[in-house]
Amino acid sequence: MLIKILGSGCAKCNRLEQLTREVVAEQGLSASFEHVTAVDEIMAYPIMTTPALVIDEAVKVSGRIPSKEELAAWLKG
Amino acid sequence: MNIVIEALQGGLGGLASYLAAHVLLCLVPAFFIAGALSALVPQQSIIRFLGPDASKWVSYPAAAGAGSLLAVCSCTIQPLFAGIYKKGAGLGPAITFLFFAPAANILALSYTGVALGADFAIARIVLALSFGIGIGMIMAIIFRRGEEARQAQSEAFEAGEGISRKTLVFLAALVALLIAGTLKLDFLKAVLFSIDLPLHGVAGLQAMLDRLVPIDEAVGAEGLSVQGLFLIGLLALIGVAAWRGLGLVDNGFNRLTPVALGLTVLTLVVAALGVRVSESGLLLTVSVRTAAVAALCIGLVPLARRFDPWDVQQWLWETWRFVKQIFPLLVVGVFLVGVIRVFIRPEWIQAVAGSNTILANMAGVVFGVFMYFPTLVEVPIAKMFLSLGMHPGPLIAYLMADPELSLQSILITSAIIGKLKAWTYVGFVALFSTLAGLAYGAWVDGTALWLLALLVGGFITLLLSTLHFVDRASRARTV
Repeated sequence: MLIKILGSGCAKCNRLEQLTREVVAEQGLSASFEHVTAVDEIMAYPIMTTPALVIDEAVKVSGRIPSKEELAAWLKG
Repeated sequence: MNIVIEALQGGLGGLASYLAAHVLLCLVPAFFIAGALSALVPQQSIIRFLGPDASKWVSYPAAAGAGSLLAVCSCTIQPLFAGIYKKGAGLGPAITFLFFAPAANILALSYTGVALGADFAIARIVLALSFGIGIGMIMAIIFRRGEEARQAQSEAFEAGEGISRKTLVFLAALVALLIAGTLKLDFLKAVLFSIDLPLHGVAGLQAMLDRLVPIDEAVGAEGLSVQGLFLIGLLALIGVAAWRGLGLVDNGFNRLTPVALGLTVLTLVVAALGVRVSESGLLLTVSVRTAAVAALCIGLVPLARRFDPWDVQQWLWETWRFVKQIFPLLVVGVFLVGVIRVFIRPEWIQAVAGSNTILANMAGVVFGVFMYFPTLVEVPIAKMFLSLGMHPGPLIAYLMADPELSLQSILITSAIIGKLKAWTYVGFVALFSTLAGLAYGAWVDGTALWLLALLVGGFITLLLSTLHFVDRASRARTV
């Protein structure tokens, strides 16, 4: 599973990455992480706001930090 | 040696007036509003109006709305600007968004209002709105032909959820708190009752504070009151409690969360209290304002309970993040401004910008472009200039140019929209900031509002029609 965090390195983006890593560890999943900071690469996805979470190239959420329950549901699905 | 003491006193005086009751009553609610906007307002609720098919009548106001509601955080401005430009409504609304955001966010607006006066805050928002839309439209006309190359991508703008009713009510209550604390209305000042606290030694304490931080009406130094000292103590306690209580709240509410919030409410209520040192002790006056602030703080609790705990946690976390990000820089900035204030002679400022001339307004703009101050520090700087005798016109010119234009923001914009467009934008901002200063200065000097509106409107119409004809002419030649 490839997890991308899109965001310019702001506090919210780092928080999203941290939360996602926590959920991945709690669920015992294996995933590789990539933190995308280049504006051009971020804009290639259909989003307008960061932070955004992309799991296997599908945008799950953008512009807000999801709760751990939401994260767990996406990661398992 | 004397000059060092004087400079330090200047710095302390600046800090004291920054942490004075009326400033806290404005900034504390403003931070909570900024946090709520960032955490509770779904960004899609405004972004959906900025798609590639949106008409001009919708997209420009929506861009301005996005500027004031969504762009409280720098991590939103850059992707949103790039997104509107590349995928959505295009260059014009993107520019409007970029121009309006720093002048119209809740923190800048309320701080300007309380530090410089409501007229400056209103002038700032009205001028930024009209000129932001104006510059956006001009840029869109100039660079019309490049526009087709953009990759219009509608799916990013699909209608999402709107702003829910409970969020609106909650925001309205927070704004009411801000207004009840700061608005200078007579009925808010009406005294309900007062208590005389027999505290000995308070008069001596106040005398000591007056020696430490002298009151000087002429330069706008308000001195430090016993109330101010108590408030600073409360702020320090909030800082300690909030570090864990709000900073880690997204892991769930902890024991320090209610402590931090309780202290915040206490700070607001004390700030709204009238405190005077009398011969026998302290005279506390409870006014309508005090009661209103306390009632609104209590009223926020049931309103907040209507949200999911996760949303409330996000709100508090965002609020604390803003405080952590902005407050320390602001404190240092205000202190340094107070120190520098001692060394600047009023004659210098009055010679350069003491009256409302084109040159004076341009000086304000140039100073704004080349100086880069952290968010909100432009306000105490403007206050310093005002007390040194700067004319309100050039002051508005400076206030318009400083947050809009800095070398950093110019570099970011040119990376996204290209050097030519970015420098054209810079040129227009400089031009329009000068114009804004001239217009506001003329209004302060007594020129009738309709005449000014006519002149400014005429100038913009002239500019737009010139551009239109230049564009038509060059198009006719290429065909």
